[in-house]
Amino acid sequence: MIFQCQDLDRALALPELMPDARAHARDCARCAGQLFLWGEISRLAPALHQEWESPALWPRIQAALAADSPPCAAARRPIPIRRWALAAAAVLTLALALSNPWRSAPRDRQFLTQDALREVQQSEAAYSRSIDRLSALAGPSIEESPTALAALYREKLLVLDSAIADLKQNVEGNRYNVYLQGQLASLYREKQRTLREWMENANRN
Amino acid sequence: MIGASQLALTDPLPRAGSAANFAELEELYHLHGARLKSIAFHITGNRQDAEDAVQETFLKLHRALHGFQGQSSIGTWLCRIVINVCYDIARHRRREAAAPPDGPAPNQQIPLRVALGDALGRIHPKHRMVFLLFEVEGLRHSEIAAILEIPEGTSKAWLFEAKKELKRLLTETRP
Repeated sequence: MIFQCQDLDRALALPELMPDARAHARDCARCAGQLFLWGEISRLAPALHQEWESPALWPRIQAALAADSPPCAAARRPIPIRRWALAAAAVLTLALALSNPWRSAPRDRQFLTQDALREVQQSEAAYSRSIDRLSALAGPSIEESPTALAALYREKLLVLDSAIADLKQNVEGNRYNVYLQGQLASLYREKQRTLREWMENANRN
Repeated sequence: MIGASQLALTDPLPRAGSAANFAELEELYHLHGARLKSIAFHITGNRQDAEDAVQETFLKLHRALHGFQGQSSIGTWLCRIVINVCYDIARHRRREAAAPPDGPAPNQQIPLRVALGDALGRIHPKHRMVFLLFEVEGLRHSEIAAILEIPEGTSKAWLFEAKKELKRLLTETRP
């Protein structure tokens, strides 16, 4: 091939033409200059990389990230539908249990003996102590947690505490009523279960 | 120059949530920050805007990680974000400034390296971007293709065009 000046650009794209281009450049100052420039562009390019110290940049980014973040990432986490369903079911059961007139009437007529009452009161005290211990452990984390799940648990515990207080008042006036004592025990169990569930959930996270 | 092997462009992106951790983001900053600043500098033209672009890049990364499925690499993603942020900043600056985008031709007496820097600002933006990523920042064509979302062959063709334009500009100013 007879290499001419106009072939130079083609040679730069096709490495197999480069030996011919170099041979031509030995006798052509213009092409020699072009070939030199081509090489120099790649040789000098890395020097265009810009590097400078910016000690304040990361702290600035960190501050911007903190300002951009929500108060707690967990708050954004969607609550599983199962939890909502469980909470709703618990509240519904409680409401039905407290307001069912058909069942309460016949049971009102069942009365405890003195010994049975003592056993019930001992069980209630045991439940109460157990719940106090659980509340001491779980209470601070439920109160302090900003998550929607914690809010749900707080709400459920409030409903249970309120129902327990009402029932206890009724029981005070009718201590031998089996049905009322049973309801009170089931509310204690529910509260105990709720506190345990919260603690298990907190330990998992 | 930063070598391609140092860039860790193929590192998998940490899963959302874990990378939201500031310590991990700081690690990413130390790993990729210098390159991002350099790329940003070449697009925006000054250090202040380049640093602003890097900051905005990390904010965008932080926000986007929650929905990220890990289908890309962190380096590729960061480069893509910083380039887009820089184009936004550059567009904003052009609206603010009355000066034309093309400056005067470089002085014939200045060193070739400086002339090359000036000429780089005068070539087609797409070609400039490939030249910048390949020749200046040391990325591979496969990485550039992923960042710019173009075929690898296009990356090679644009690099050739960039060098041709640069050679022409440097020849005109340095006969």
